Amino acid sequence: MSRRVLPFLLGALLAGCDHTTPLVPTNVAAASGDAQTDTVARVLPAPLVVTVMVEGGNPVVGAPVVWAVQSGGGSVTAATVTDAAGQASATWTLGPIAGAQLVHVTASGRSVTFTATALPDAPTQASKNAGDKQNAAPGAALPVPYAVLVQDQFGNPVPGVTVNWAAAAGQGSVSPAAGVTGASGVATTVHTLGPTLGADTVTATVPVLAVTLTFVSTGLRQAILVATVPIPANYGIHDTFVRDGIAFVFAWNSGVLIYDVGNGAYGGSPSSPQYIGGVITNASGISAGPDVHNGWWFWNPNTGEKKYLFIGQEGPAFGGIGNGSSGLIHVVDVHDLAHPVEVAYFHKAGPDSTGTHNFWVDEPNQILYAAYYNGGVVALNVSGTLSGDLSSRLIDSLRIGGVGNTYTWGVQLYNGSLYAVDMLSGFWQLNTSAGHLSFAAGGNNVPERFGSDLWVANGYAYTGTWGGFYRTSGVPGNAIKVWQLVSGAPTLVDSIITTGIATVSDVEVSSNGKLLMFSTENGPNAGFHFYSLADPAHPAFLLKYLVGTGVHTATLGYIGGRVYAFGAKDPGSPALIILDVTSLTQ
Amino acid sequence: MVRRLAVLCLSVAAPLGLCAQSPSLHFSGQAIPLLTTTNAVPGGATLTEGRLVLPVLMLEGAALGDHLQLHAMGDFEGWTIPHGQLATGAYGEGYYDRRHPHTYVHELMLTGADVLGPLGSRIVVSVSAGKGFAPFGTDDPMSRPPMLYPANHHLAQILERAVAVAAITAGKVTLEGGTFNGDEPEYPSQWPKWNRFGDSWALRASGRPVSGLEAQVSRAHVHSPEHRQGAGTDQEKWSASARWESAVAGRPAYALAEWARTAEAGGAYLLHSALVEGAYGLGRYRPYFRLERTDRTEDQRVFGEPFRSVRPHLDSSILGMTRWTISTLGAQVRAWRRGAVAFSPTAEVAFASVAKVGGGVFDPRVFYGRTSFTTLTVGIRADWGMGGHRMGYYRGTPMAEPMTMPMDHQHPEP
Repeated sequence: MSRRVLPFLLGALLAGCDHTTPLVPTNVAAASGDAQTDTVARVLPAPLVVTVMVEGGNPVVGAPVVWAVQSGGGSVTAATVTDAAGQASATWTLGPIAGAQLVHVTASGRSVTFTATALPDAPTQASKNAGDKQNAAPGAALPVPYAVLVQDQFGNPVPGVTVNWAAAAGQGSVSPAAGVTGASGVATTVHTLGPTLGADTVTATVPVLAVTLTFVSTGLRQAILVATVPIPANYGIHDTFVRDGIAFVFAWNSGVLIYDVGNGAYGGSPSSPQYIGGVITNASGISAGPDVHNGWWFWNPNTGEKKYLFIGQEGPAFGGIGNGSSGLIHVVDVHDLAHPVEVAYFHKAGPDSTGTHNFWVDEPNQILYAAYYNGGVVALNVSGTLSGDLSSRLIDSLRIGGVGNTYTWGVQLYNGSLYAVDMLSGFWQLNTSAGHLSFAAGGNNVPERFGSDLWVANGYAYTGTWGGFYRTSGVPGNAIKVWQLVSGAPTLVDSIITTGIATVSDVEVSSNGKLLMFSTENGPNAGFHFYSLADPAHPAFLLKYLVGTGVHTATLGYIGGRVYAFGAKDPGSPALIILDVTSLTQ
Repeated sequence: MVRRLAVLCLSVAAPLGLCAQSPSLHFSGQAIPLLTTTNAVPGGATLTEGRLVLPVLMLEGAALGDHLQLHAMGDFEGWTIPHGQLATGAYGEGYYDRRHPHTYVHELMLTGADVLGPLGSRIVVSVSAGKGFAPFGTDDPMSRPPMLYPANHHLAQILERAVAVAAITAGKVTLEGGTFNGDEPEYPSQWPKWNRFGDSWALRASGRPVSGLEAQVSRAHVHSPEHRQGAGTDQEKWSASARWESAVAGRPAYALAEWARTAEAGGAYLLHSALVEGAYGLGRYRPYFRLERTDRTEDQRVFGEPFRSVRPHLDSSILGMTRWTISTLGAQVRAWRRGAVAFSPTAEVAFASVAKVGGGVFDPRVFYGRTSFTTLTVGIRADWGMGGHRMGYYRGTPMAEPMTMPMDHQHPEP
């Protein structure tokens, strides 16, 4: 006898003994009411009906039925035994939680599940969900989008609700300006901060609720890394000159490397510099090689030419830094930036070896001023066509500290005076008349340290100090000297001391006069340092951007309405570092 | 790198054939625990340090009837003196006033000796390759009497390079030529920069005119030794020396006089060194001396680490030059010896002075707070069969004089 038959025989025997005992059901099925959709907390329009049967399809009468809400938090009102048709029914009131809801039905060990989809109720509330109270540089897109969450009375997210976004006037922009909530009940937009420092406001309006929410983020001063361009370790990068979106990278024995960093003609941008071309200038008999150190792209306002790039070759220091030097000025024709060609050179002849360092060009008067280390300051006529040996174009030179006390680092023309910083003899003001040089004031005024770079702006000069060797035991070259430039000698009015560095290697003030930037080397605080010049006599610290191996030079570039700092990261792993420092110039 | 060295070494061995002959191996080693106190310290302080220096193991091997020779030395100073050893006036490989730790593989050279065999009846030709010394200058200070290295180490020797050397000996004259990589190591585990192999060269001519006397003249061109990538300045080096080893009044005596010159950066820096040293055996005692005057360049130091110079180099990093005059007196006593193992307590004192040479911003008086210094060192030489072993030669043939330092060399009896 089959084991399957046995239960039925037993059932038949039992039924023969007592007619009130139902047959053992073998199947429970949903007859109707499954898979309905309605709003949360509503009674489903159709009742739930189950049928209880034995094998062969005969209904079971009077079978007990148990109804249980399995999920969604609703309730059922139901018959607990089957009727003559073997059926039992229930009314299902959905719970408050949107989504799938379940009712479980059991009869004599058999079961079936009813499913219903509960939709959110009408929106009743909106709230800020993400993105509020961020900080970023002015003009920057906030990293986290603003988000509004729309919900019904039960807290279910409501999709398809329109949200309108609006930035307050002058406080940036939003994208998109309008949207609808998604399945999660959230609508988002990205806020690009306005151009000024301080709080920027964006409102989110939900018309259907007549609700307006306010997001507030703050534009802060920040230096944001936008690009790092590796430079061959040969030995690395020394300086950068940036003009019209073109960056000339002076990369020692790799020569000058020319990049489009926002000019557009070669597809570059500050965040994606594109290499255009380069040239390795002549070593000119200098044993260490081309030693490409610095440069200036000469825009001649008289001819409209943008043809010449002056390059400084920093040859070995004879007898040590502060003693002798070597190196030439090389002139490269860059009218075709992709194919620069060296066309001329200048070597300062004289009884002692001399070598060039930083430049400043008086473009209207077509005079190149060069700091020339132990040669002092050199003025060179760079008008007209430059070709071959330019020694005949020397206008004047001046060993500002005298023989044995001159090692000039940098020069700058400002308000008709030529200012110079000398490592040994300090900060000088010189007169220049068509390139003819004479003393005006200053000198021998930084006895405790060696001088380094300078920048003059706002009626003040900011000069750095060098600490490759401490001129005074225990006193690093970690100072910026602030000089007031009035009639008479420059007057020292303040100093900035930066701990954890040995050298201030480059100094620059932004074109609007609001930002002082300097680069530092050799120490745990090596990198970029930024100060506010709200009070130009007393710079106030803004922030620093540290670079482990140090930054040899830092140059500001103005591209597309923004301001970038181009830094020469020291070896190992030398690189051109580009920071967006626009917010610091406000 | 190891593979490349192996290939280089095998290329030397190949012409010799592979005839089977019983090889010989000789292991040896040494170490010197010492205590040094000195005021030759930046900032004017006095420092006292105890260190284990020159912990080395050496393996010398020969096969094919001595036609194939191996010189190998492991140096473990990277573990024992990772920050260098106080040594007055010493400099090199990014260290100042401290001697740098050597690389772990100090020497790994394979020599094909007398490769011409009977064909070269009047000359002996040897070729060598591996990591070791360029054929330039004098004996490595490791094998000389004083415990502290002289200041002229990097003027008078060129070591730890990937080098190929050919040596020709005719009678009492030997001519050696070699090519190698110019870059100095920067830390103990660093190998020579292989793609720079061949960018530098050295020549050494040496002769032994009379018994006990050896003289040499060397010349070398070293490309960018202090900038590993090759962007640094070159060095043109000269060395001349006379080394004498004999018996005086029946007791062993040793003397060395050397002169070295290095022109750096096309002559922007001219560094000279003159050195004389000597030792005399008095039974168990060996007094010795060294007189030295050596120029050195002064580099920018690392912030907060005045014993270290900035590496890699920046643009112009040489601050000036100084001249060190150092007089060293010492004595060693062999306190205990069993077979090849010996312990020799040693004490030496060095008196030094420094002077600024030429221009430049470096001022030793500012940097050290003084210009004269005293350094006292006591230690115990622990030798296992290699005390005084001369280093830096791959001539592949017995010299007219033994390749040993006086009085100390102790190979175990076969």
